[in-house]
Amino acid sequence: MSGAAKLSLGPVLFNWSPERWRDFYLRMADEAPVDVVHVGEVVCSKRQPFFDKVIPEVVERLTAAGKQVVLSSLALVMTERERDGIRALTGEETGFLVEANDYSAAAALKGRPHVVGPLVNVYNEGTLAYLARNGAVRVCLPPELSAATIGCLAGQGLTEIEVQAFGRLPLAISARCYHARSRNLHKDGCQYVCGEDPDGMVVDTMDGKPFLAVNGTQTMSYHYANLLGELTALRDLGVAHFRLSPHACDMVAVARLFRAVLDGGRSAEEAAAPLEDLLPDAEFANGYVHGREGHRMVQGESLPSGIL
Amino acid sequence: MSAENVELVCPAGTPAALKAAVDAGADCVYVGFRDETNARNFPGLNFSRPELADGIAYAHERGTKVLVAINTFPRAGQPEIWRKAVDDAARLKADAVILADVGLCDYAHRAHPELRLHLSVQASASSAEAIRFYHQAFGIQRAVLPRVLTVPEIAALCGQVPIEMEVFVFGGLCVMAEGRCSLSSYATGQSPNMNGVCSPASHVRYVEKGDKVVSQLGGFTINTFRSGESAGYPTLCKGRFEANGRLSYLFEEPTSLNTLSLLPDLIAAGVTAFKIEGRQRGRAYVGNVVTAFRRAVDAIRRGETPPAIDLDAITEGNRQTSGAYERSWR
Amino acid sequence: MVTHRADQPPRPVDPPFSPVLLAGLALAPVPPRLLQPLFDAILSVVRRRHPDILDRLSAYPDAVVGIDPVDLPFTLVLEPIPGQPRLTVCRDFDDLRPTAVIRGPLRMLFDLCEGRIDGDAAFFSRQLVIEGDTEVVLALRNAVDGAGIDLEGDFAATVGPLAAPLRRAARMGGWLFERMSRDMALVRSAIVGPALRGADAQSARISELETELAEMRRSLRHRERRA
Repeated sequence: MSGAAKLSLGPVLFNWSPERWRDFYLRMADEAPVDVVHVGEVVCSKRQPFFDKVIPEVVERLTAAGKQVVLSSLALVMTERERDGIRALTGEETGFLVEANDYSAAAALKGRPHVVGPLVNVYNEGTLAYLARNGAVRVCLPPELSAATIGCLAGQGLTEIEVQAFGRLPLAISARCYHARSRNLHKDGCQYVCGEDPDGMVVDTMDGKPFLAVNGTQTMSYHYANLLGELTALRDLGVAHFRLSPHACDMVAVARLFRAVLDGGRSAEEAAAPLEDLLPDAEFANGYVHGREGHRMVQGESLPSGIL
Repeated sequence: MSAENVELVCPAGTPAALKAAVDAGADCVYVGFRDETNARNFPGLNFSRPELADGIAYAHERGTKVLVAINTFPRAGQPEIWRKAVDDAARLKADAVILADVGLCDYAHRAHPELRLHLSVQASASSAEAIRFYHQAFGIQRAVLPRVLTVPEIAALCGQVPIEMEVFVFGGLCVMAEGRCSLSSYATGQSPNMNGVCSPASHVRYVEKGDKVVSQLGGFTINTFRSGESAGYPTLCKGRFEANGRLSYLFEEPTSLNTLSLLPDLIAAGVTAFKIEGRQRGRAYVGNVVTAFRRAVDAIRRGETPPAIDLDAITEGNRQTSGAYERSWR
Repeated sequence: MVTHRADQPPRPVDPPFSPVLLAGLALAPVPPRLLQPLFDAILSVVRRRHPDILDRLSAYPDAVVGIDPVDLPFTLVLEPIPGQPRLTVCRDFDDLRPTAVIRGPLRMLFDLCEGRIDGDAAFFSRQLVIEGDTEVVLALRNAVDGAGIDLEGDFAATVGPLAAPLRRAARMGGWLFERMSRDMALVRSAIVGPALRGADAQSARISELETELAEMRRSLRHRERRA
């Protein structure tokens, strides 16, 4: 498996305008060296209708460009409308893989090949084995896992294992919209204020230290995950896919850097500075894979080379 | 479901709290082993195997059930710790185990087909399809609903699933969908899912600054309290933060869920069991809250309006909310 | 501003102006070591009747927990060393470097021991202050709460020369204590009210400065980004 690691583009998690969203995917189809592209609204069902009209064009262009398209499902399913959405996504065979981000989608996909997303709790081999029997062919692991756990799961050989390697980490999902709350609004009358922050709304502590980022009902890390330095070690542990989570920065350039490191064209050290140049405002973190606090940037420590 | 068979499910972090809950009229007491297998893995808390055996004997003699929460997600490569917890709960004649992890549900269902399984709130099953999945796959007989649904949504759900529904009626309130939150490990490296702790005490510091107390978690300032201002534990989602140029309780105020007035609606919605949060709280809390809810449920059974009972003194921030049960909370 | 309002308890680190404080003043000239036998006796009662407390603390064999009844002129240090725990009475913690400290009025500490009040609630209302390693404090709180202590019953079960004074002390309180508490609250507000107003003004100034500092940090960050 090592040497053949693939790059995947996660679903756009932010509320971008349908035009921006469409243009982003079309450019990725044409230029980005990624193998898999996820499409679909994961965070808030209120945003979904805006993208429905542009999804067919995006999916067609991505497919034509040779990308494997995966349709991502909503993370928190509560209302009748949201349940209908899951039924529509998982109901008929469309020829596209679906990524289940909760168990209502995973249950509906039983017996068919599908992907399990990072918002489903896969922490151990027992759960992984069950999901594999259920039809999962690839599982993107939750963000808080250490390399030891990742290695143990990848070593099972039950499904392909994917890990997010770039972008703000999805840390929590809620029924409450914090973007609306920050403007004294409720979710029902939210005025789609989440659209004002293409990379999420930064949340500072009381003493001015940036800490988290809010994306509607989702809470994300302030720090951008950056596993450039861990890519090859994780690949050697059996990780088959690395996920780049879309941001407003030049994602084609980001993908090229990660691709170059995976291909051995550049070392992780050589790619570090260009990545920082692409995101001058960002702070990076890799703490979770090192078994540390998620916000930490650990340098000069190698990951375990074998499995647990 | 009618008020006749609704169960009051009460927390116990220690044998003394278990006795307090049983004596105050709990129908069920839920507990955990003293290790990382449950989501209240707090220092000095929970039950050894002999303590659980004694606790179950005490409860069963008085007609009270004991449920054992094994609701963290087993660590990869070390499933034995969690499987042994399930085995021991079954051996000690617990009335049910409360599970969150799919792999562990699968194990419990196969290894102990006679053991009653409840789905923990940490599994965050928020739709009829998700709940039916756990029922069909593992024979789950009751699901604890995540604190994300409104009363009408719960009513609709109860009509669509073939198993019992349990909801939280009092205590600490997760504002994120339970079991789907890594804020704690982001700041401290330890999370509810992996370690059974949220905002762990080992990473908490209270720093006195002049007349203020600053609460920090993993080095991040979570809140500041002035003299006389009610303090809160520095749980990340109950802190004060600045966003959009404004300092506020962005996620939630330090507050406790209290649904005393909503109990009749929840019973009408078809809920089978009322859960009180607080295994980490003392026996004084357990005694007070269980007594209050026992009186309320008994009043509803007699066809009366539940009495207004003042529980302010034991709530976080001395504030109460009906949480996600009201749509405006969102 | 007067100190006592129902919703605004006095600062917990201030000794409450209470009957305990008076008793404490009377005790002030007594060297702490003379009180040590009393606490040896208490610890032996705990070890005999509530072995589970020390069992629950076994994960913290090196902890040094300071217990500060703020209205008494001495403090206690608990070291839950398995097999040979120590409860030492001393004037203050100066050279002991405790892992954690719990401060509160004696009456509240007793109530906590007996599980009559909820530790979280006492903390939320700021009547109890903790410093240092919060985990150790939480472990102690949970261990003590879980033991089901009943001071009067525990002391009643005590035999030997200290039994009678312990029982008397346990019964002390009641009407006399409540009455004295009310009178002393009145005296307190008259004496310390003006001093607290000065302290409030200073705190307000500190708070202003802190806000300014946070603002400066933020603008510095934005400037760094632009640069």
